[in-house]
Amino acid sequence: MKTYLGEFEELVLLTVASLGDDAYGVSVQLEIEKRCNRSISIGALHSTITRLEEKGFLKSWLGGATQQRGGRSKRYYEITQAGKKAVSETKSMRDELWSLSKVKLSVK
Amino acid sequence: MKTPQPPKLARKLFEWYCGQANVQDLLGDMDELFHIRTAGKSAFRAKFIYWRLVISLMFSYAVRTRKRKAQSGMFASSSFSMAMLNNYFKVAARSLYKHKYFSTVNAVGLAIGMSVSLLLIVLYAHVCTFDNFHTNKSEIYRVVTSHHSDREWELAFAPFSIADDFNNGFAGIKKTVKITSGFSADAFSGKLEIPIRGFFTEPSFFEVFTFPLIKGNASTALVEPNAIVLSESTAKKIFNRTDVLGESIEFHNVGKFEDSIATYQVTGVMSDPPANSHMSFEILISHSTLKPYEQTYEGNYRAFASYGHQYIYFLIDNKAALANIKKRLNDFSAMASKRANVKIAFHVQALTDINPGTELVALTGGLGPQWDNTGFTIFGIICLLILLPACFNYTNISIARALKRSKEIGLRKTMGGMKNQIFFQFIVETILIVLISLLGALLIFYFIRPEFKSMMIGGSTLDLSLTWSILLLFIAFAIFTGFLAGVFPAMHFAGLNPIRALRGNTGKFSSKSVLRKGLTVFQFALSFCFIIALVVFSRQYRYTLNYDFGFHHENILDIQLQDVDQSRFRNEFSQLASVRELSLSSHVLGTSRWVGNTASIESQDSFDVYQIFADHNYLNVVKLTLLAGRNFPNEVWQHEKYTLVNEEFVKQFKLGSPADALGKVFRIDGNEIEIIGVLKNFNYSKLNSPIEAFMIRMNPDKYAVANLSVNFTDAFSGLEQMEATWKKLNPEQKFEANFMDDEIRETYKAYESAIKLIGFLGLLAISISLLGLLGMVVYNSETKTKEVGIRKVMGASIESIVLMLSKDYIKLMLLGALLAIPFAVAFSDKVLAIQYYHVSLNFWDILVSLILLITMGLATIASQTFKTASTNPAETLRTE
Repeated sequence: MKTYLGEFEELVLLTVASLGDDAYGVSVQLEIEKRCNRSISIGALHSTITRLEEKGFLKSWLGGATQQRGGRSKRYYEITQAGKKAVSETKSMRDELWSLSKVKLSVK
Repeated sequence: MKTPQPPKLARKLFEWYCGQANVQDLLGDMDELFHIRTAGKSAFRAKFIYWRLVISLMFSYAVRTRKRKAQSGMFASSSFSMAMLNNYFKVAARSLYKHKYFSTVNAVGLAIGMSVSLLLIVLYAHVCTFDNFHTNKSEIYRVVTSHHSDREWELAFAPFSIADDFNNGFAGIKKTVKITSGFSADAFSGKLEIPIRGFFTEPSFFEVFTFPLIKGNASTALVEPNAIVLSESTAKKIFNRTDVLGESIEFHNVGKFEDSIATYQVTGVMSDPPANSHMSFEILISHSTLKPYEQTYEGNYRAFASYGHQYIYFLIDNKAALANIKKRLNDFSAMASKRANVKIAFHVQALTDINPGTELVALTGGLGPQWDNTGFTIFGIICLLILLPACFNYTNISIARALKRSKEIGLRKTMGGMKNQIFFQFIVETILIVLISLLGALLIFYFIRPEFKSMMIGGSTLDLSLTWSILLLFIAFAIFTGFLAGVFPAMHFAGLNPIRALRGNTGKFSSKSVLRKGLTVFQFALSFCFIIALVVFSRQYRYTLNYDFGFHHENILDIQLQDVDQSRFRNEFSQLASVRELSLSSHVLGTSRWVGNTASIESQDSFDVYQIFADHNYLNVVKLTLLAGRNFPNEVWQHEKYTLVNEEFVKQFKLGSPADALGKVFRIDGNEIEIIGVLKNFNYSKLNSPIEAFMIRMNPDKYAVANLSVNFTDAFSGLEQMEATWKKLNPEQKFEANFMDDEIRETYKAYESAIKLIGFLGLLAISISLLGLLGMVVYNSETKTKEVGIRKVMGASIESIVLMLSKDYIKLMLLGALLAIPFAVAFSDKVLAIQYYHVSLNFWDILVSLILLITMGLATIASQTFKTASTNPAETLRTE
């Protein structure tokens, strides 16, 4: 096991990747809330983002202030090469487990 | 509908919490989420949502990490670095050096301002050490009395019956000490009589208090009757040595407790009681010396004078016993109150609470020096009144000169200097200058200390020497002062907008000028009060000395008769060429307050009448005017027959006209005496009290002073001749003679002290305000050099420019004086009225004071404005 990604970490990474150029705090939060249909706390989200940055899976830069934000800039996130590797490793491990499954996993 | 705004408090809290961490994006995210989530919700609900966001983030790992990063980042400032501190000192020193003029004005002002406070610190520190040399200091208590009769009396003494009760075995009390104060007699050693004061006390005195014996046995020294323990210096005074055990001392004029002469045997020599003891005494005499009936107290609780010399101290086992002791004292209080029919309460007072007292006013009748908080409060207020203007000056000048420093601050801020760093820098700078001022203040302190000691009552025993701990206190005080003076400028500088500061526009400056003007007005009001007080007090002093007392007091020499035989004295002295008239009397007119110098006349209503005893020649010496009747006849005295009274006497006894009063007979002290003369009113007493009924009586037994009307050609040789004559009559006692004028002047010495004190404080206050004024004028002239140059080029005269530069300050000074007048009037009316015959503040006093103030102010202003106005405009305009 080379890297470990928690469920929420994986979720954040994938969401950042899915949002492309428009990934910043609020958009990530709203996207996760919409897709997972659960409400997440802003503190938890930013803590996870900080951890991911520290692990080198995300990088960020400032830009794009809007009126609604009181003129404050957004911090945009982008998934790094290491991040991509981490999610794909997680995915391939999952795929492997899926394929090895002795029980029929598909539910209808 | 108005869109809801995020609650400000929550955002401020978050910003404060995050400090220097960069959280702009988080704040933005929160705003955005707020707008999305709160659409269509109530304002309260919206606020709640935002608060939840804030709290959620504040406790998150994200913010914690960002804060940590900010602390170790490149522009971090909360980590304290020596290099930066070093830089502050360097910049401060350079700036002080560069602006020598302002630095000097500031330093001198602060030094003057702090000097008086240093005295307060030393004095208070000394008073705090009182009685800390007793080993049992926290277990010693004394019994004190509250007596509510005609007024409330808080007394330091209590009747001995309480001590006797405690001595009968009271759980918790280890030892009691009874002290009887008031021993005062003259120790007779060979030829000299040395006045000595002390107490009677018990052997337990040395167990309870820590006064070590150098010679003798502490446990037995005060057991036997007539045993005496001397302090070391007293032993040296009487015997010139300290190994005096077993010697006996003869005391004269013991009076109060024993026969007039008493002999005591020395059983111990103790080291001198320290200056910081609340009891001061020279000797201790065994309590068993007192006659037994005087030791126990059964008398009258109502008249507390009857136990006014009885002091009770006790040593306790444990604090728990205090509750029982208090309960027992309550029983005593109830008993005494009932018996005396006034409210009497006995309390305990801890030794450590005596000095400085915990109450506002010290107890009446202490055994030694007492320091109450009222005195310290007044002293403290005076110190503040002197210190605060000095701080104002610094604040004023620093803020006004912000322009000069704004470039530096702008640059510092641009380079990442944080608000608190700038603040700290200026506080450091202020503290530096205050520390320099401290040296100046110490110098002033050194000069005023002896003066202060001589002014205080009991000041000679004060220990006001500097120790290391006191110096540390001084430094702490200086740092405090620096903070006081520097906090406003530092806040001002810290709050500068870097862009504006770099452009040389300090913006907020004008908004503070109201405050600055206010401070200047206050300073001048204060100075003006001092000047008025000085003027009016000097006038009262002069008025008092030149007052027509109604009797003659020039060229009159008063000689203390002491033990000389009166007729021999009269014979010898009247033969001297320089003596014109000679009379004997009991007192000196115009001096003492004549307390207790009254007699009751037995008539229908008995009145108290002031009196003096004098012989037939007295009227000729002091030249009193007879309105009716005659002087005492010159005849051999057998018993009291006649009296001379004053007009007020006649009026008070309703005797009609002076002539009608003649021949009226009164009974006094068992004698029938007849009024043979009525005198014009004269001020027999100090001017503090009005003239009341007064009589002159004849009785040689009472004469104590010889009043000689003299006619010296050469005062020195004349006095020498008199002294030689005195030596013939009485070789044992000192010749004590004073001119009546001097004695009267001595009586009003308090005025001299008051004038000196007010003058000194006034000088300080005025110099501080003038320094402040000077600073402001210099600054203003500096900034206006260009303007002045242009005006001159355009044809303005020097006078008009001086007027332009000065008029604002003159206005402020006048305003200050105007505001001070009501206070000065109210204050001086109160204080001057202490004396019954007094002057009152008039228009001329105010005018004189005003002229003084304006003159000093103008001189200060003119010294600068003339310089500015007369500079050649070519010089000032050239640089543009």
